[in-house]
Amino acid sequence: MRQGRLVATGAMLAFCLFALWQSLLLPLTDRLGPGPGFFPFWLSSFGTLLAIVSLVSIYREPPDPVTADEVRVLPHGPGGNRLIAIVVLIAATTLVMEIVGFRLAMLAFNAALVVALGERRWLPISIFAVLGSFGVYYVFTTWLDVLLPVGWLGF
Amino acid sequence: MESLGHLLSGFAAALSINYLLYAFAGCMLGTLIGVLPGLGPAAGTAILIPLTFSLDATGAIIMLCAIYYGAMYGGTITSVLINVPGEAASVVTCIDGHQMARQGRAGSALGIAAIGSFVGGTLATVALVVVAMPLASLALKFGPAEFFALMVAGLCLVVGLAGRNMLAALLMTAIGLLFAMVGVDPVRGAPRFTFGVEELYDGFGFVPVVMGLFGVAELLLAAEKRQTHMIEADLKTWLPTRQECRDSVGAIGRGTVVGFVLGLIPGVGAIVPTFMAYVLEKRVSKTPERFGKGAIEGVASAETANNAYANAAMVPLLALGIPSSPTIAVLMGAFIINGITPGPFLFQERPELVWTVIASFFVGNVLLLILNLPLVGLWAKLLKIPFSYMCAGVLIFCVIGAYGLKQSLFDVWVMLGFGIIGYLLRKLDFPIAPAILALILGPMMEKSLRTTLEISGGSLAIFLDRPVALALLAIPVIVIGVLLFRPASLAPLRTSDTD
Repeated sequence: MRQGRLVATGAMLAFCLFALWQSLLLPLTDRLGPGPGFFPFWLSSFGTLLAIVSLVSIYREPPDPVTADEVRVLPHGPGGNRLIAIVVLIAATTLVMEIVGFRLAMLAFNAALVVALGERRWLPISIFAVLGSFGVYYVFTTWLDVLLPVGWLGF
Repeated sequence: MESLGHLLSGFAAALSINYLLYAFAGCMLGTLIGVLPGLGPAAGTAILIPLTFSLDATGAIIMLCAIYYGAMYGGTITSVLINVPGEAASVVTCIDGHQMARQGRAGSALGIAAIGSFVGGTLATVALVVVAMPLASLALKFGPAEFFALMVAGLCLVVGLAGRNMLAALLMTAIGLLFAMVGVDPVRGAPRFTFGVEELYDGFGFVPVVMGLFGVAELLLAAEKRQTHMIEADLKTWLPTRQECRDSVGAIGRGTVVGFVLGLIPGVGAIVPTFMAYVLEKRVSKTPERFGKGAIEGVASAETANNAYANAAMVPLLALGIPSSPTIAVLMGAFIINGITPGPFLFQERPELVWTVIASFFVGNVLLLILNLPLVGLWAKLLKIPFSYMCAGVLIFCVIGAYGLKQSLFDVWVMLGFGIIGYLLRKLDFPIAPAILALILGPMMEKSLRTTLEISGGSLAIFLDRPVALALLAIPVIVIGVLLFRPASLAPLRTSDTD
């Protein structure tokens, strides 16, 4: 946990420093008063200071008293596989959605996700996948006026 | 008296068939969201925003508010039956509610929770009617300096309540504010931090960010460690006995007062009022040893405070335009999406909207009571939905919500990115609530500060010349100072991340 917090705070420090550099490229003041860079400059300076103080404070904390397994931050084991499956499937669906359309993309997403999360009965999987793609598309586009992508195949 | 007249007109509109249906649908969906473990009111309200895209502004706000307080009640069911709070504010309900379920009194626990929620919510709304308009009239006298100070005070109170994580909360506030700077400068119109990406000219969309940080992140956490052990409760009798009602009367009264008062303070979060009401009830009880072993007063006080808080938290939003928790920030985002800026001008510019929404709170509380008492068994059955289907169902809404607002897949990527960030931040115990509030308040804070400095010719001394602004800026300094040197007994008081 401590190591994870150090890495995360380090990343936030890098982010604040980057924002500080970017804000210096913008005018801090203009003839009317504070310019576009004024607020981001002071914010990123404040953030940088806080990140440095946090880093020092976390660094000075005693090491984690619990076992290594309890402090693992990154996903691992079966739970980690489920988590990675969710992330990969959302990413894949987003990549193909404008190509194959919402309905086909979500049909595949629903079926793949419930299988990845442990469901093995094909009938409920199929019903859910169809309702969660074609059914949802119908409800949102027809009743709720939400535009959803249609792909090359017309789905 | 003026408020009463407006409220009656509001009732006339809120009781029209369309708005009644929206409130009903919102209560049903909100309760469903609250029942499903792992999805709090903030995530629930955010992922259901797409359902309101085709509604008029008043209808959309009515439905989203109903979702909000429906979710606040729904969390009770999981707390009682599976000892897992459906949303953070229900943590305290687990203590005695689950013990009651183990003793075969789940029906009584859920029944008194519904009654307490109704009483707390309704009385808090009455107080809202009394307080909101005078507060808004007072706020009309505020200039940009006062508004800037008010927003700083709100953010600092959220930070102050982060307990031992105060430094991390401050850092998260700064990060949230920096993310809010992405896009076109609100004063001069110059693009900032956009790196030529056209989609970033409007900044990061609030809906995809909230869906990611709350919805996706919560699902990722839930997927990693599966739950749950449900108690097969006897829910044939969902009304508490006469003795249980008598025991709960005082608890409901005190819970209402605690919930309402704390709901008025920006940044307190829902968990603090429930915790305070529970502790107060235990203190005043002649038999405090029963608490933790199935005392119905414990459930009644916490649930009443929870719903009184939920309604009272609308006061700072409607009267001052300040969200007091992430869920209220989501509601504020929904107002803005619908072209409405919450705040003191709302009572002058859109009185019909604001009073219809307030009237709908009363209607929603009645609907929740009607829905929750007889339908407790149905809600309990929902807990048996396999996680795989629940997860996929919620993600469908997340994808549509992120995409639907601007028909942009970029926003779906934003949602996924913030989902992963939110997951890591939760695991590393970084508070997310301050970042969310900062994200929504950032542009307004910047505009207020820059306008103030333009008026003063760049001098910060203007804050010293304006007593209200100075007093508001002193609040966070005092609160953070006190909390930094607070007694150890106050250490467990922390603001919740999901509300």
